[in-house]
Amino acid sequence: MLQTLLPILIFAALAVGAAGAVRRIRLWRQGRRTPMRWHRLVLMPKRYLNDLHHVVARDKAIAHTHVATAGGFVAAMALALVVHGFGWHNPILGGLLLAASLCMFIGALAVNRRRIDPPAKLSKGPWQRLSKSLLAYSVGMFLVSLPLVGVAPTLLGGGVLALILLALVAWGLAEMLIGMGWGGPMKHAFAGSFHLAFHRRPERFDDQHRDVAHDVHRGSRSTALFPLDLTAKTLGVEKPADFQWEQLLGFDACVQCGRCQSVCPAYAAGQPLNPKKLIQDMVVGMAGGSDARYAGSGYPGIEVGKHHGGPSDAIVPQLVEAQTLWACTTCRACVEECPMMIEHVDAIVDMRRFITLERGETPEKGAAAIDNLIATDNPGGLDNASRLDWAADLDIPRIQQRPEGVDVLLWLGDGAFDMRNQRTLRALVKILRAGGVDFAVLGDEERDSGDVARRLGDEATFQRLAERNIATLSRYRFQRIVTADPHSFHVLGREYGAFGGDYVVKHHSTFIAELFDAGRLSVKAAEPGETVTYHDPCYLGRYNGEFAAPRQVLAALGVEVAEMERSGYRSRCCGGGGGAALSDVPGKARIPDMRMEDVRETGATTVAVACPQCTAMLEGVVEPRPQVKDLAELVAAALVEPSAAPTARTSTEAPEEVPA
Amino acid sequence: MSVRRLDPHAERARRNRLHPRHHEFARPAWRWTSGDGVTRINPHALGAIGPNGIKRIDRSGASVEAAASAGPQASAEPSRRQVRLEAPQAYVAVVPELPEGRLSDHDRDLFGLARQLAEARGGAEAGVAVVAITFQTEVAGLEEAGADRRVDLSSRVEADSYAPEARLAALAAMEAALAPAHWIFADDFPGGGDLGRRLAARLALAGDAAARAATRVWQFADGQTLSRAGDRQDIQREVARVLLALPECAEPVSETLHAATLLDLDALDHELSASDERAAGVADLGRVAVDPQQIPLAQAPFILSAGRGVSDWDGYHHAARVLGASEGASRVAVDDGYMPRSRQVGATGTFVSASCYVAVGISGAVQHLQGITKCQRVVAINSDPSCDMVKRADFAIIGDGDAVLAAVCAQLGQPQPESGDSRHEEVRHDAA
Amino acid sequence: MTQPERSRNAAGEARVVALVSSGRHPVSGRAGRAREDARAVEMGLALAGASLHLAHAGDAEDAALPEYLGMFHGLDGAGGPGELSLLPMAAGDDAVPLLATWLEAYGANLVLTGQRAECGEGSGLLPYLLAERLGWAVATGVAAIEHCEGDRITVLQALPQGQRRRLEVRLPCLLCVDGVAPMPRQSAFGPSRRGRVEAVTNVTAEPDTLQAAWQWQPARARPKRLKVVKSTNARDRFKAAAAKSAASGGQVLTDLSSDEAAQKLIDYLRAEKVLPAVQPGEEGQPSA
Repeated sequence: MLQTLLPILIFAALAVGAAGAVRRIRLWRQGRRTPMRWHRLVLMPKRYLNDLHHVVARDKAIAHTHVATAGGFVAAMALALVVHGFGWHNPILGGLLLAASLCMFIGALAVNRRRIDPPAKLSKGPWQRLSKSLLAYSVGMFLVSLPLVGVAPTLLGGGVLALILLALVAWGLAEMLIGMGWGGPMKHAFAGSFHLAFHRRPERFDDQHRDVAHDVHRGSRSTALFPLDLTAKTLGVEKPADFQWEQLLGFDACVQCGRCQSVCPAYAAGQPLNPKKLIQDMVVGMAGGSDARYAGSGYPGIEVGKHHGGPSDAIVPQLVEAQTLWACTTCRACVEECPMMIEHVDAIVDMRRFITLERGETPEKGAAAIDNLIATDNPGGLDNASRLDWAADLDIPRIQQRPEGVDVLLWLGDGAFDMRNQRTLRALVKILRAGGVDFAVLGDEERDSGDVARRLGDEATFQRLAERNIATLSRYRFQRIVTADPHSFHVLGREYGAFGGDYVVKHHSTFIAELFDAGRLSVKAAEPGETVTYHDPCYLGRYNGEFAAPRQVLAALGVEVAEMERSGYRSRCCGGGGGAALSDVPGKARIPDMRMEDVRETGATTVAVACPQCTAMLEGVVEPRPQVKDLAELVAAALVEPSAAPTARTSTEAPEEVPA
Repeated sequence: MSVRRLDPHAERARRNRLHPRHHEFARPAWRWTSGDGVTRINPHALGAIGPNGIKRIDRSGASVEAAASAGPQASAEPSRRQVRLEAPQAYVAVVPELPEGRLSDHDRDLFGLARQLAEARGGAEAGVAVVAITFQTEVAGLEEAGADRRVDLSSRVEADSYAPEARLAALAAMEAALAPAHWIFADDFPGGGDLGRRLAARLALAGDAAARAATRVWQFADGQTLSRAGDRQDIQREVARVLLALPECAEPVSETLHAATLLDLDALDHELSASDERAAGVADLGRVAVDPQQIPLAQAPFILSAGRGVSDWDGYHHAARVLGASEGASRVAVDDGYMPRSRQVGATGTFVSASCYVAVGISGAVQHLQGITKCQRVVAINSDPSCDMVKRADFAIIGDGDAVLAAVCAQLGQPQPESGDSRHEEVRHDAA
Repeated sequence: MTQPERSRNAAGEARVVALVSSGRHPVSGRAGRAREDARAVEMGLALAGASLHLAHAGDAEDAALPEYLGMFHGLDGAGGPGELSLLPMAAGDDAVPLLATWLEAYGANLVLTGQRAECGEGSGLLPYLLAERLGWAVATGVAAIEHCEGDRITVLQALPQGQRRRLEVRLPCLLCVDGVAPMPRQSAFGPSRRGRVEAVTNVTAEPDTLQAAWQWQPARARPKRLKVVKSTNARDRFKAAAAKSAASGGQVLTDLSSDEAAQKLIDYLRAEKVLPAVQPGEEGQPSA
């Protein structure tokens, strides 16, 4: 009986699953079409085994569990197809099938143990069932395959026991094959493998670079936002069908592991954002229905089950509240952690683009900043001609006076208008002078890089600023751009390329590290006893993979660095990126306060930063708290003056008070 | 011969200008009667160093140091020259704003401008009179302001209600009766700026093309006026018939005193009754009570602002109600969730322009102080006397903010009496 | 602020037009929406929704026009693209006859505009000249429209320091919107791209003859008025000149009990007329 029913079961499950898969593919293809490149499917195994595993393996136990379960299942399924499906009863194959099932069984046991008291980040519901289904499949497949190697051949041939076994196998097959096609938890394997093959950012898997040291940090290989065609019929994403189909496919690949949720600063601060729920909501929108079946943590402060969507229904506010989208700091921590390489930030910015460009509902302060950018080229609405006022006594060379060209163009960024950041800039100028760097600034010809406008979704303003900045830069000759602002660094270096601006851009930490390497800076030894910790800015670290240079600089200063638990590629955002400081979505805590708590845990008295935004956010934390010092300030304070440099102040001086 | 005795203490105090008792000894030292009865003056001992570092000698009799009490006005007042004008040949009409029935500084500037225009047309000799046209009966100070004549239209138009069309009709009648060479209004919405434009439009459409008003006039010089236009431009033009002038458009009259004789309306009245009867397009339905909390922070006239030093938030809200103040907050208070973001004062919140700003428990971060630069009076209540807010304040009280607010509520009484509330505040007070 | 009731009459009878002009950013001087005109458009959109019509007399290339059209979003109904009638004229032309002719032809009966333009003469006379020419009512300083019913519209007029007065205005009328009116909605790129600008061709502008005689010059900073003391007495003049320096620095009161401090504070606020003066009955009230 088994011998007749098993093949029927297997092929029926395969057929039903395949029908579901076709339907699933149709769902994905509701998105905006791009040419189908089938040959990319061959890239999938490598991307899966190499890149995906690289992320999963950050948690060794899970990685081993997954290898055992998934590997066991794939092998067991393939062998079962041959052995039971096509009826090639080979004892060796049978033995292998038993081994694969056993392997899967062991993995499934580990899965079940994790599911006894699952951590909060995991989804429950069908995912709890999946762990049982894995057991059912592996046990069932193991037992039905025993006769192949001559164990208990007669006992299993018929009767009630055979029926029970068949039911087990049927359960397993239903979950594994039918569920895969029809949207069960196993969908992640099917959608995931397609997603890896057709990923919208193939650069993320590209480590074929000639330079071995290139992009050691995989997450930062492709982080620039995609340009938006401003002549398109609708701008940005209004409804799920407005996403590119690869994006929909990516959302569908989510395994609801909750890693994004556990690293999201907005979620931790109790703001109404949960990256995992957002991706699941996108899936709900794509397939149509309500979010009531979602079995994980929701958005803080927003009830699960009240929202619904469809592929052609507007996302905001029926499916996702606008507050959810504005809470994102675009820190990419979720993208960094996602084992399925889902691009949350792209999706959020796409939806923000629609809200800003079509609906005009940017949060009030963000809208004001955009209006200022349009009118004055800086988000503060200040006179652009006053960009260099702080440096009136420094006599900084202008690039306009250097037609022959300079080595370094110092890009000031909008921090030039901020009194706190002006101290950093003065320190940086002092360092450049001490290092004998040939540099100049653009002065009032410099405009905002467009970072804030772009992250707030105003692509039109971003592109206008980008084009103007590129036109300005094309008039002058310089070897490279150095900036103290990681946002400008990222935008100039990574995002202007799409608009015809290709520059060598260096963050000041990198540049100072190079000056140290070249022996062009001499510093006095640090005073012992003071502990310093370093806060990685998102746009320098995760976005651009620069983790080493700032630490190199600190090492050159001879200070002891106590790393925070979340540092490097896992650094926690300061809360100031992506216009989040402007949209100011209320939550239970403030993100900078949480980050300062991280700092305090290290016992450091000073936190070194490398971004004006981080400085502003962290200094906004109520005192007493560790000091916040930019790397440039630390270096400038330790400089041993080779000559009488102009009046660059040391960072120990108190900030000037503004007369009231 | 009497022996001249030196008091060494007095000598030291006399020499040392910083000595606390310096004035006591220094004052008689510049003038004395010598032994032979002659009054001697020592010019070097005289005078004081002025704020610009130059030594000034005050020969009026009183020493500079002892000056504080007498007001400067007292001796200046009687010196005004009386100007009388018997038979006016032409008029320059001024329609003052008269907020709360009194001449404002802006109104005095208008009269100053009117006098300048009258002088330009020949002044009193040529019989050019400045006439004040008011919608109120008793207006004090028109004589000093510079009005030769005045017209009281309060019998024609109700003074208190906003009836621009009725006022316009009355002014149009005055135009017919007096034909002023110029009309001067305060360019201030919705008062004279509105009325003046209505009159200008009426005159311009009636065929007097030159009547189109010159608005935002801020200077009269060389027979021409300068008026501010849009886009950072000024317009220099011949003096228009209707002028809408900004504050400080001219120096107020200070040297002459005028008659401000009341013109008899009935004598002028051959035209007044014939004013055109158009249906009123704008009707005044009265003032609307505005809750101080509803006034946008940027416009609020009186703000009670709270910071980290406040811990009794119920008491604070209550105090704001008692004082009738709009609520403001420092960034910290907003971040800690005690106040909504829309109430945040400062460079990162709202720039405020209150005439009185009371900061309770706010130490005065730079950004916060930037937000209150336009406030006329700043009051600080803070427990730290060295904080920046106290340095900025015009009036500072060093003490616990909660307790002071509670005491203020207790002394002012309570708009909505809540017995439990006040007891609670008393308890807090004791604890403080 | 009160939301205007959108009664059927408002949508049905009133043909609402907002007159818009080119604004100048106070810092950069770039063209954009004018502060008050944008508020007028906002008020019109809140009252009439997408049926609001815009009109501009001037240059078709003005950068401000798309920005106004970009405000046509978030409206009920179809929310079609914004429409703007452009009355072409040069900078020195007189807009009044042009607009008056067009408004009559269009059949508008409620016109919203800012109090004063931000470029050109910026005299704020235009609404009054239009009203006088058309025989309409005009109200200035409008901070909000409360409701519109029949041929009457009830508005709130802004008075200094956040105070308000309620006015009833007869239609047809012109309302000059004050800068304290509700903030204009964001100008979005998408709607601005779709908005239609239709040039009105059957009108011809006439030059403004009066303007020809004026001299334009860059605005000078107004001199700060000096405190001049007219006195024959040198002593008074000197004292007035010297007085300023003495009056710096605030008064700081320390070591007071809470009640004393409260009393000092109340006295100060009363002296500065922030609080009303003491009522006769209140005088003897014992402090708690």
